[in-house]
Amino acid sequence: MNEQYTTAAPLLQINDLCKRYPNMGNYMSVFHMNLTIPRGRIIGLLGPNGCGKTTLIKMINGLLAPTSGAVYINGMFPGAESKRVISYLPERTYLENGMKVRQMIDYFADFYADFSKEKAYSMLESLGISPEARLKTLSKGTKEKVQLILVMSREAELYILDEPIAGVDPAARDYILRTIITNYNPNSTIILSTHLISDIENVLDDVIFMKNGSLMLYTSVDAIRSQQNKSVDAYFREVYAC
Amino acid sequence: MLGKLMKYEWRGLRFPLLIMLGILGIATLLTCILIFTINPKYDSVASGLSVLSLILSIMLYYFGIIGCSVGTMLIIAIRFYKTTYTDQGYLTHTLPVETKTLLAAKTITSVLCYLLMLMGIAATLLIIIGAIYTHICNLSAYEGVYLDQQIGELFAELSDGFREEYGISFGAFVTFYTVFMIVACISAIMTVLGCVSLGQLYTKHRIIGAIIAYFAVISVQQFISYLAMLPTYSRMIRAEAMAETIPMFEIISPTMIISLLWAVAVSVVMHIINLHMMTKRLNLE
Repeated sequence: MNEQYTTAAPLLQINDLCKRYPNMGNYMSVFHMNLTIPRGRIIGLLGPNGCGKTTLIKMINGLLAPTSGAVYINGMFPGAESKRVISYLPERTYLENGMKVRQMIDYFADFYADFSKEKAYSMLESLGISPEARLKTLSKGTKEKVQLILVMSREAELYILDEPIAGVDPAARDYILRTIITNYNPNSTIILSTHLISDIENVLDDVIFMKNGSLMLYTSVDAIRSQQNKSVDAYFREVYAC
Repeated sequence: MLGKLMKYEWRGLRFPLLIMLGILGIATLLTCILIFTINPKYDSVASGLSVLSLILSIMLYYFGIIGCSVGTMLIIAIRFYKTTYTDQGYLTHTLPVETKTLLAAKTITSVLCYLLMLMGIAATLLIIIGAIYTHICNLSAYEGVYLDQQIGELFAELSDGFREEYGISFGAFVTFYTVFMIVACISAIMTVLGCVSLGQLYTKHRIIGAIIAYFAVISVQQFISYLAMLPTYSRMIRAEAMAETIPMFEIISPTMIISLLWAVAVSVVMHIINLHMMTKRLNLE
């Protein structure tokens, strides 16, 4: 696999990926994972706590080096080029507290060629967030909304959203899910990692179930409904029953 | 992209740096006030107070420059740690830029900030010397010696006597010393940034890890500095034993060159450590 962009290459390909933490008693967080993600899907990345979802997401984003195996985005290893096409929302708040919302928008516009300021300001207005507000004056939930607005204002090819609705109120959750669907581009793919399955299952095309660092299931939501006669939430509860 | 990254680095550092420069300015002002309370005429009643003022002014200025210098270093280290290895690192490391560009922007901006602080210290030093000189001038005027005469004598001594005394022209010495200071400044910043990165090798207590790494590196550097001084000591002892008069620069130049090379080597090693930690060993919590 070379590092040149090829449209024929799958959007995301994961080959025999492993991540071991030597400092944590050689704990294997991701274990021999293989996965191919096409374009134009909304995919739920599901699994119990500690199953390796965030580790996998970090490796896709180049925030963690794999122990073995490889990740390819558009046929490229994670790096500056792959980061141009991925819009990533981490589970942490990464905004610089001293900055204003408007300055963060300028920051994103400066670095990401696919960032739309108009879209960002329009979403801020919808949520009633002042662009002149300093981030340190905002609540945790509002900061998360700002972060999501920044991420969704890009015209990226791959959106990776790690727990995008965990810290916000139910009304905002609806808005966020509407935002995700509204901004959905048929050529891009959205990977959503969350525990709040019932809230998101209506927007999902496919689901990935992870267990103990391995891929347990990768199938479409329709297949689960037709074959199991259950909602994704009910099936998840059955599969991961303690 | 380097320019954009540097712009945001500077925005993050400029306010705390300004506060540090402000503190330095206040310390200098207070020192000058204390200097002007010293009675230039020797008199038994006022001399006690004058000595106290002198000691206080020296201490105030000394702690002022040490505090501001260490404070600036801390500001740089904290900014680097926060934007590289804490939650803010999620944004930093997902920017569409090469890690080496990211590191270059952080290093160059940090070095420029520290140089700015050093220039601030140099400027305040000149102000303090000026204050002392003005005060001495008053005393000299009382005794019939004038400032312009003293300055004239000083420059005449620098231009004529410097080469004879030190074996190098005053201009060349200033150039060499400036280069030496800039390299030392780069090395100091790279050491701090490198130690912050080394602290990330610890799973927990990463800040303590960085502090331990810093003291370990500084101890090694002190030892190397001691070794670098050996040629100078041996040269001085030999010259004294043989009753030779060797120009000062000839004696100290081996030490300065070894120190310069050491500073360059440290900078390169620390840069490699930073790059390695930010690519292969990056593990944001």
